[in-house]
Amino acid sequence: MSKNIDTEKIKAEIKQIVAEIAEVELDELTPEATFTEDLGVDSMMALEIVASIEKKYKISVPEEEIPTIRSLQNVYDIVLKILG
Amino acid sequence: MCFKEKIVIITGGSRGIGKACALSFAEAGAKVIFTYNTNKAAALSLENELNSMSGGCLAVCADVSDYSACRQLADSVISKYERIDILVNNAGIVRDRALMMMKLEDWQDVINVNLNGVFNMSRVCITTMLKQKTGCIINMSSVGGMIGMPRQTNYSAAKAGIIGFSKSLAKEVAPYNVRVNTICPGYVETDMLNDLKDDIKEKIVAEIPAKRMGLPQDIAELCLFLASDKAKYIIGETIKIDGGLTA
Repeated sequence: MSKNIDTEKIKAEIKQIVAEIAEVELDELTPEATFTEDLGVDSMMALEIVASIEKKYKISVPEEEIPTIRSLQNVYDIVLKILG
Repeated sequence: MCFKEKIVIITGGSRGIGKACALSFAEAGAKVIFTYNTNKAAALSLENELNSMSGGCLAVCADVSDYSACRQLADSVISKYERIDILVNNAGIVRDRALMMMKLEDWQDVINVNLNGVFNMSRVCITTMLKQKTGCIINMSSVGGMIGMPRQTNYSAAKAGIIGFSKSLAKEVAPYNVRVNTICPGYVETDMLNDLKDDIKEKIVAEIPAKRMGLPQDIAELCLFLASDKAKYIIGETIKIDGGLTA
């Protein structure tokens, strides 16, 4: 139960980070929205998102994972996999 | 100039210009990780000399034309030091021949080491520099990449390629406080010129307005300047250092 609560908290925090870097409103940011086409996030912004998340959770996202990040859902999956 | 605790990777660091850069960075307090390819004894001797000036220096046997070897090198530096501040892409080879005599492997070897090596090392270091929001890449090209030299189609093509690569990358990463610049040395007294006969060397020197060949240290001093904060607004630049040869 507590793990679910943590997961939701982490998702909300990640969403906040992504919204700030992509400069989009939180309600525009659905998990499935594609970074490039829907949100105008370029590869450098994706890297900023990764760097912010690494700093916040004190984790290291493998470099080969970075090009696979295409949506908020991808970020959730990668971070939760590392933290889990 | 102070580079205390800065993490510097230099490719082809065991001799010539790379060695002069390694010694100068270590003297200025940097932790220098340099690659070498064949001469282990010379590399280990330099490693000792560097460590006597600044602890944490390391010689690594790595072929820059091998992407996975570059990846392994960068990963080990990041794992040990958690950052990469300066990358000097210096490793280079020559296989001078008239085009009609040039073998395919002469072309491929030079492109693989001199140009693909720059891609490989820059690629494996760039993500770390972007994440840090600070970094500096210095690419060693040559005046041969700016003006044509006979019997050097492979070398000139690779060195001209480095200039284009550096300009493109410089614009791409400058917003992230990562600077990329290129140095184009002229004739420098290194092993690369050892094969030249004395009378050819004399003719070359006669053409150089400074009336001498460059010393590796001349190039190292420019390299340290470009890597320092004094050069913080120099981005995507290609600087010739050739005693006036191509002025």
